[in-house]
Amino acid sequence: MAGNELIPALDPMPVPGPLWLYHVLWVVTFLIHILLVNAVLGGSFIAAWAGAAKADRRRIVELLLQVNTWAIPLSITFGIAPLLFVQVVLGRFFYTAALLVPWWWLGLLGLLMVGYYLNYLAKWRLARGEGVRHWLVLQAVCFLLVTLIQVVVNLLHMQPQRWEAAAAGLAGALADPTLIPRFLHFLLAALAMVGAMVAWVAVRRAGTGVAAAERSELDGMARFGVKFALYATLLQLIDGFWLLFALPEEVLKGFMRSGPAAMIPLTLGILAGVLLLVFLAQVHDPLAQSGKARRALELVMAATAVMVITRHQVREVYLAPARAAEELVTTAPWGLIALFLVIFVAGVATTVYAMVRAATDRPAPGEQAA
Amino acid sequence: MDYPIWHLAFGGGVLIGIVAIAHVLVSHFAVGGGIAMALVETLAVRRKDAALRQLAYRSSWILILVSTVFGAITGVGIWFTIGLIHPTATSALIRTFVWGWAIEWVFFILEVATAVAYVATWNKVRPRTHLLLIWLYAFAAFMSLVVIQGIISYMLTPGRWLETKAFWDGFLNPTYVPGLVMRTGICFFLAGAYMAFAALREQNGEARGRLVRLMAIFQVVGILVAYGGYRWWEVALPDPIRALFLGDAPKLAALAATRSFLLWALAAYLVLVLFALLAPRLQRWPVTAVALIAAFAFFGGYERLREGARKPYIIRDHMFSNGVLVSDIERHNQEGILTHARWAAREDDGSLEGKGRAVFRAQCASCHTLDGYLSIRRLLASADAAMVDMILEIMHEQGDAYAGGALPDTTTLDYPTMPPFVGTEEERRALGVYLTTLVPAHVAEVRHGR
Repeated sequence: MAGNELIPALDPMPVPGPLWLYHVLWVVTFLIHILLVNAVLGGSFIAAWAGAAKADRRRIVELLLQVNTWAIPLSITFGIAPLLFVQVVLGRFFYTAALLVPWWWLGLLGLLMVGYYLNYLAKWRLARGEGVRHWLVLQAVCFLLVTLIQVVVNLLHMQPQRWEAAAAGLAGALADPTLIPRFLHFLLAALAMVGAMVAWVAVRRAGTGVAAAERSELDGMARFGVKFALYATLLQLIDGFWLLFALPEEVLKGFMRSGPAAMIPLTLGILAGVLLLVFLAQVHDPLAQSGKARRALELVMAATAVMVITRHQVREVYLAPARAAEELVTTAPWGLIALFLVIFVAGVATTVYAMVRAATDRPAPGEQAA
Repeated sequence: MDYPIWHLAFGGGVLIGIVAIAHVLVSHFAVGGGIAMALVETLAVRRKDAALRQLAYRSSWILILVSTVFGAITGVGIWFTIGLIHPTATSALIRTFVWGWAIEWVFFILEVATAVAYVATWNKVRPRTHLLLIWLYAFAAFMSLVVIQGIISYMLTPGRWLETKAFWDGFLNPTYVPGLVMRTGICFFLAGAYMAFAALREQNGEARGRLVRLMAIFQVVGILVAYGGYRWWEVALPDPIRALFLGDAPKLAALAATRSFLLWALAAYLVLVLFALLAPRLQRWPVTAVALIAAFAFFGGYERLREGARKPYIIRDHMFSNGVLVSDIERHNQEGILTHARWAAREDDGSLEGKGRAVFRAQCASCHTLDGYLSIRRLLASADAAMVDMILEIMHEQGDAYAGGALPDTTTLDYPTMPPFVGTEEERRALGVYLTTLVPAHVAEVRHGR
């Protein structure tokens, strides 16, 4: 295939472990990463949109800044694992793609850092009763750009035939018909998820027996969340088909010919999107229809999960011609893999235990707090 | 070598140095700070000491704002940067140590979650839970150092891995333990150096003196451990590496000067810390800032020394700094470097000069820029074609020394910090032609005139 002559040679060192294990770990860790990224991206966008002028909007901003205090560092941390596994399996494609837009790739980190610090700045200003709108907009722009850079590099690493043009300049790197729909696909999923999350949190808080004034604010917050999730999902269905049909013809055909393994997740994803839309359209009074907000959040997360599988499969189809002659040699260091799995289980269990304890342990009346 | 070359005027090595040193100065505090905060808060709870509690509280904000934001992102930044500057070496490291990194990542999860929870739960949870969070954080942060030290030290002293290619042989290499001891000391003194600023914020004079002294104790202990670890590290180095910067006639004067600088920086740091220990009430922030700079100077100097001592390799005795494998020298000499450097080969326009430019991109451009860092134009400013040819011939012969079976003592070579030239006779000639075009015209004319 034209362009394949620029693909660097395969690393002569064997891959330490079976490839299926890398794919499983890659997809699983990427799913956790992308759910956290959704919280960050959607949260910063919605917070900037909402502003903090009205009481119900201020509640939304406070919630999203609080969520992002956790979601930003955890999304970075959970991004490390898929970054590691993509380098093991597709290192030569991935490094080349990053090298075609090196300053943008490195600049991503600067944007991430600015966005992260802005979260603390906005929290601090909000607590002091100062304006935050401009900072929230700046933060949202940072995370939107981070997403765009990620999409550009991901598209490049799958298409060696575009490398020559990308090497000639940024315009070549951006000239991909799937760039905009793919970017929107990520953004809209994030907005739908965070919209549903805002509604769910409002419903939960209202369920704890609050005063009328507070209930009214929570009602405004829930309606805002549902509306955002509804419009984002509606646009997502349109954008999803745009993305599907913007795929290069051979990729689309290759994907469609991949059989049930590819069709089932895709169908489930579309179905979840349609169901979500129907579901959200039925919500007229979110506080009264309390179960619906939770269902909406579950549906959007389920749709994300199956779409992560689809994304992985589409990448395989994209790269199939370039990897046709690839013969990866693997070894089986099972002792090491077992050590990792034991530490992984123990580490996650300890983290969960610590977080649950931090969330639930409260001093008794008269007892001193830390 | 086989990837697109990123042309940076100030040099890729400098960029890696900036990102890496910025990261380690923060990440080692993240490790030591965790242990120090855990100890300080434990003491505060046991003694019901409000000043100690406030010290832990203020320090926890430094931890969050400096370590989990800047430290975490620059940590990923090192990965991004080495992937851009040395993709071949990064790939080799990933293939060798992927499970080590995966294990480190698990500790990161625990580290980040407990750090954020620790700061978020002041005045909310019972002291025991709060202490559990910080001790878990300290454990996870230290374990991440235990893991990454194996990978960092492997690059300089891969030890038995060269024969076995086994994970544990590379990980538990000859400088692993000495380096870990030294870095543990650095973690301690950086904890004290950063947290000394938090101690100075204490309003009560008597309490401030106590806190400053406690932080000084941390630093003195850290300095002594780091110094011991450093000396042990020197002893553990193979002789050819030691000869680069140690002894009566070190082979690389610049590295020997770096060693001298870092030890003097450590001595100056110790003096400043002893001052804080003996006269804590007199301590003011400018002195604390100078002490922190001295601490940075020692650590930054050490990292510079460690990186410099690795030359001409990126993974010692295995891969050169331009990504050429030692085991590939003969193959490249026979088949030509450009058949294995797809991106660089695009520069080859069919002319001898074009081919030479392509060879330069493939073999030299990962370290040398044209006019910036390690400028090739400046290095060749006084050379003519004959001299360039001679240099390349010697460098080609150095390749034979590497390819001959037993690896040479690099200090005995004419260009001990340079990878050998690999490639065909035509490629060598082409590189010579290209390099001669970079020499200022008047030099060539003067030489011809003579």
